[in-house]
Amino acid sequence: MTRAAGRALAAALIVALAAGQAMAAQGNAQNGKKVYERKCWWCHGKSGEADGPGAAFMIPPPRDFSLGVYKYKTSGAESPVPRDEDLFSIITNGMPGTSMPSWKEVLNEQERWDLVSYIKALTDMFEEGKNPPAIAIGERISSSPESIEKGKKLFVEAKCVECHGQAGRGDTMKKLKEDGGARVWPRNLWKPWTFRGGVEAENIFARISNGIPNTPMPAHAADKTGCGKLSVEDRWHVVNYVMSLADPDRQVKEGATVVPGAQVDALPKDENDPAWDEIPSAAFRLVPQIIQKERFFIPANDLIVVKVAFTADKVAFLLLVDDRTKSIVGDSTAEGLAWDELKPDAVAIQTPATVPESSEKPYFGHGDGSHPVTMMYWASGAAGQPDTSKLLTASGAGARTEGDAGAAGFASHASYHEGTWKIMMTRKLTTPNKDKETQFEIGRFIPIAFANWDGSNGEGGSKHTMTTWYWLLLKPATGSEVALYPALVFALLVGGQFAFSIIGRRKKR
Amino acid sequence: MKMLKPVLVVLTGYLLLKFGIPFIGSQLHPGTWPVVPTSVMKMYMFFLIVGTLMIYSFSEEGYAAVIQPAVNLYVDPARGTARMAVILAVGALGAYVTYQYVKPTFDAPVELRSIHPAPPSSVKACVKTYQLQGLKNPFREDKASFAKHVEEGGVVYFQNCYFCHGDRMLGKGPYYDGFNPLPANFVDVGTIAQLTESFVFWRIATGGPGLPSEGTPWVSAMPVWHELLTEEQVWKVIMFLYDYTGHSPRVTAPVHH
Ligand code: HEC
Ligand code: HEC
Ligand code: HEC
Repeated sequence: MTRAAGRALAAALIVALAAGQAMAAQGNAQNGKKVYERKCWWCHGKSGEADGPGAAFMIPPPRDFSLGVYKYKTSGAESPVPRDEDLFSIITNGMPGTSMPSWKEVLNEQERWDLVSYIKALTDMFEEGKNPPAIAIGERISSSPESIEKGKKLFVEAKCVECHGQAGRGDTMKKLKEDGGARVWPRNLWKPWTFRGGVEAENIFARISNGIPNTPMPAHAADKTGCGKLSVEDRWHVVNYVMSLADPDRQVKEGATVVPGAQVDALPKDENDPAWDEIPSAAFRLVPQIIQKERFFIPANDLIVVKVAFTADKVAFLLLVDDRTKSIVGDSTAEGLAWDELKPDAVAIQTPATVPESSEKPYFGHGDGSHPVTMMYWASGAAGQPDTSKLLTASGAGARTEGDAGAAGFASHASYHEGTWKIMMTRKLTTPNKDKETQFEIGRFIPIAFANWDGSNGEGGSKHTMTTWYWLLLKPATGSEVALYPALVFALLVGGQFAFSIIGRRKKR
Repeated sequence: MKMLKPVLVVLTGYLLLKFGIPFIGSQLHPGTWPVVPTSVMKMYMFFLIVGTLMIYSFSEEGYAAVIQPAVNLYVDPARGTARMAVILAVGALGAYVTYQYVKPTFDAPVELRSIHPAPPSSVKACVKTYQLQGLKNPFREDKASFAKHVEEGGVVYFQNCYFCHGDRMLGKGPYYDGFNPLPANFVDVGTIAQLTESFVFWRIATGGPGLPSEGTPWVSAMPVWHELLTEEQVWKVIMFLYDYTGHSPRVTAPVHH
């Protein structure tokens, strides 16, 4: 091929590609309707009014397309509707932490543009053939300690703290609703992977500028005169601060199934003892109890972080749960934030009453008749009263008896700070009640599961969040042989080779 | 460089084990990449190295070619630095291998479960007992109302199942990552596509706890649906599963793994 021919071909390709994009951006509403009626109506409803059969079982509820109000837009304040790209991006990437999945694996690009055209046609809010311009984002100010420090101040001044909490973990001061009346909690900014409109700096900039329409999260972009709210530059500082909050310890590590218990000389004094900082943690997903009657579909908490320390005769568990409300029954602030009858917050650790010899375990939902489980339970209680701790044995949902906490040396202690419960539970490794209570053995894999009740979210009894079985391992301190054997082998090999070399050289001479 | 050949043989063998076998596996079962377990890999490599050395040192000159350069290195007075480096490297390698053996490992116990264990001959759901042999979906015959039954099954699905099995039926509902084993992926050819409707009925009606012990009933989060749904709803949701994914139910006995 000559050079000219090559260039011509390249040009033709570019033109073809560009044409393809332009076509895709058009989208065919008629084709979009067909896809919609197969994939989307189950939640968004036959005519897009958010009344599909699935809609009643989810919070947040699906978007009502007949209103034309969208949460994640990059168009400016002068445009009530989003840009085509915003809709395309939501359909492509989905919204983490909600029922709205990413569709890129099952629908091709053209189908996704067709859907954009179709859902736009479900309301008269969009102007025919017009795509509003994107907001001005100025020049990205890169992150630096100074910028983060400025952002932190602005986070307080701009009143983000009123909803997102002093530390940004979403512990709101007020009860918040979507325009349609559904409960909405401010995002926990320590977990950016739960952001629904994207985790890139530009995405967060757009959220801060436009707020989140349909929710109380206000727009923070300064108006045309540059007055009020936050300038472009300030918004970038806030973006940098928000991004600096991400905490990897609060992210589930794929495939991690073991809580590694660490051997210590003395157990940490309480849940706030800095000694806990040295102990490794494991994070597990909390899922709502949607398995047995009464099922529970609208959880608020989604994660539990666990640390374990032990000595020769005792074990201590530290449980961390990000919970936007401190639910103390009878406390006026707590009552004001609750969405249902206020109940105490609670957590439980579940282990098999008898650690199984084979792979067979008790059923992960509270065991069964022939395979009971032990539970260490703590609840926040009511105003003016101490919190509760109980040692329980259960054989199936609802069938439980209380054990002798004193004999087992069982105690728990908890405190709530800026959107996080820290609960410490201690117990003796072995207890007198050997058939009914777990005997913790060092160096052995013991099945372990967790449960959490968020009292302000109407959780109590069978309505709660939980994990399946994971493993607890009280790791024995590593012995000296770990260093000794490799050292011996090294010495032997080096010595042997020297001997071989010396003998060889002698022979040669 | 006569040493080159045996080295190449060992290298080729290693690459075949490391990538060739998983590649063949991935062709047989699309979407998987079955690597050779480390312990097996070590064993194969041991035999491969010993075998190669034996073959190449079989003949007199082969022996010379393989062994002589090594011997020279140890005895040649001019190559002191190289000798020192090799001696230390061999020592370090030995220490490293030993460390790998003695270091405590905290890998969670491996749990094997049979995905499609043999079903029982009959299923008891509430007060009714069903003989699985020859059990048929009563709505399949009603061709006239096919679309209606499928849609009613879809309603059941989006009020009960999508939380785990997902809006797209890929086993990735909003809560899927909290479960182990993961919820079944119905689009994959390894699930409903190779099962009869009676088998699927059994699995839905009795859920995780209804599995025999080789199916590890104690960890499966699949609910016992006969406690929550009617018999009709179960048959209709089965119609929906097949219609949405485009698979057809098997008509002969299911394959047991
Ligand atoms: C299983 C339920 C479910 C299905 C199926 C579903 N969605 Fe959604 N969708 C939701 C929920 C819930 C929300 C709202 C999430 C929120 O408010 O944070 C949503 C929101 C949206 C939004 C609004 C984004 C915004 O910025 O406000 C769009 C657009 C959308 N969905 C398109 C679709 C399309 C197109 C399909 C089909 C391919 C679809 N959805 C299928 C549940 C669903
Ligand atoms: C009046 C209460 C309120 C205020 C004030 C507020 N937010 Fe929010 N914010 C919310 C709510 C509620 C949501 C979640 C909306 C939803 O889930 O649909 C949210 C969500 C977010 C998100 C997540 C966006 C995503 O893609 O998921 C970010 C980031 C955020 N807010 C940052 C801020 C910052 C920075 C400020 C101050 C400049 C602020 N918010 C002020 C209530 C508020
Ligand atoms: C709480 C999560 C959960 C819900 C809700 C759920 N499932 Fe499952 N399901 C699972 C898990 C986990 C598995 C895989 C383990 C097993 O085979 O038991 C599974 C397996 C299955 C299988 C077996 C597939 C095979 O290849 O053997 C079928 C069929 C099935 N589910 C159908 C349904 C239907 C229909 C519904 C709704 C009525 C439903 N599931 C609701 C978690 C769930």
